[in-house]
Amino acid sequence: MENIKEPVKNDIEISIENVSMTYQADNGTDVKALTDINLQVKKGEFVALLGPSGCGKSTLLNIIADLLHPTEGNVIVGGTTPKDARLKQRYGIVFQRPVLFDWRTVQKNVELPLEIMKWKKEDRRERSTKMLGLVNLSDFANHYPQQLSGGMQQRVGIARALAINPEILLMDEPFSALDEFTKEKLHEDILRIWRKTHKTVVFVTHNIQEAVYLSDKIVVLSPHPGRVSAIIDVNETLPRPRVPEMKTDVAFNQLVLKVRNSFEEV
Amino acid sequence: MRKKHKFPPKWLVTSVWIIGFLLLWEFGAFLVENNPKIQNPEYILPHMWQIFASFFDTNLTTATQTPFQVVLEACGATLSRAGIGFLIGLSAGFILALLMNLSHIVEKVAFPYLMLIQVIPILGLAPIILALTGDIGISRMVIAAILTFYPVSANTLAGFKSVSTEQKQLMFNYAAKIPVTYWKLMFPTCIPYFFTGLKTAAPMAITASILVDTLQGDGGLGCALSQSLKHNTTIYVFWEIVIAAAAVGIFSFYLMGMIENMVSPLQRINRKLKRGDKG
Repeated sequence: MENIKEPVKNDIEISIENVSMTYQADNGTDVKALTDINLQVKKGEFVALLGPSGCGKSTLLNIIADLLHPTEGNVIVGGTTPKDARLKQRYGIVFQRPVLFDWRTVQKNVELPLEIMKWKKEDRRERSTKMLGLVNLSDFANHYPQQLSGGMQQRVGIARALAINPEILLMDEPFSALDEFTKEKLHEDILRIWRKTHKTVVFVTHNIQEAVYLSDKIVVLSPHPGRVSAIIDVNETLPRPRVPEMKTDVAFNQLVLKVRNSFEEV
Repeated sequence: MRKKHKFPPKWLVTSVWIIGFLLLWEFGAFLVENNPKIQNPEYILPHMWQIFASFFDTNLTTATQTPFQVVLEACGATLSRAGIGFLIGLSAGFILALLMNLSHIVEKVAFPYLMLIQVIPILGLAPIILALTGDIGISRMVIAAILTFYPVSANTLAGFKSVSTEQKQLMFNYAAKIPVTYWKLMFPTCIPYFFTGLKTAAPMAITASILVDTLQGDGGLGCALSQSLKHNTTIYVFWEIVIAAAAVGIFSFYLMGMIENMVSPLQRINRKLKRGDKG
């Protein structure tokens, strides 16, 4: 069943047009978190939102996820608003922390969204078992989150996000709290899962190497105010499939340098 | 990862604590007994064994009852009355916490009142409440309920507030309705907080019940206590009541812990993990 073809990328899945986000600070002044963002994400594309803290990358992700509403501009997800996309269950979200429910077993955590969708018990069991297989945690179905390592917990979070089979996977610095070894392992896992499931991935990170290694396209965001300072195509330099050996390639490191130089200082 | 303390075991700590307490008490009783200025040492501090012996005293201290029967009956009265007030208070406290969490307006309006209840010395107002309600039984429940109300409400609200933003965002992303979010996320998270409130409130409700007993007749530990000091029973009724009151307070605390162990999924899991059970 495994489809090893690279995901097809043609249709526009997420379109962000002239989006600005202004917060009202406590002292009454306006703080511009994002200004005039234009961005398109194709179906099946792996896009990284890369930038230092305060560049508004998580704000942008939250706007796509319908967790925040932009003060200006439009976001169109698969032809509809983010709200409709959310209500149609088109999003899977993975946070920086695993955000698991401690009182549920690993399997029951993965089944949570299916319970909310009122799936039948047997169907839930079948789906969650399949998802745990996908993240290689079949042997831990009956464990509780606190019995698992941080990396394993994050994989449960990924399995839960994929359980409802959403078109879009939104990941907010999902690996930044993990140690280097676990992080590298999860990089391989997420690439394998992406190849298998053909999801559109929006991946927020502040790690340049991570962005270069994983994504098709890097959106470089600079802070104060948050703005797009470059959009860099990775596939031109680093073809798929990516393998760990690429990280020592000259091309890889040149691209890392190029991305770093594209940040604009205030 | 929680550190596991293998030593000292819990039973040893408890035994040392009890033995130390008994030694201190007996030392005090010894001093009182041997002080020539004290006429009736059993009125100041009798020996522990004298108190315990009195539990098995078969001589009638009232027309029909032995000292222990008097105390036992009073215990029952106190517990049941405190219990009713406690149940009313915990229901009201939980419902208010829920409403405060559901509505910002309710929270803004109700929170100052909640703080006010906390700073008013309710026990001191017992005579006033008795005058207002005109019924000792009702005042007992009202006061027990008011004292229960604050810890339950404040702790439950803290439990709801402890739910993380990401957990709420997760439920929002799945378009979970409010009842579903409460059932699957908010209530399970707040169970330990709720029980912290219950453990604080239960002995307080009993204190309230005993205190209100002393205002007027009608049985209960407090009533028996004031009568025992008026010398129409043996003084050991007084000492038995002191011990019984402490025992009832401690019992109410542990009862809450036992109920928590039964209903809290997290407690069940922790026990399971402690046993080394693999899931």
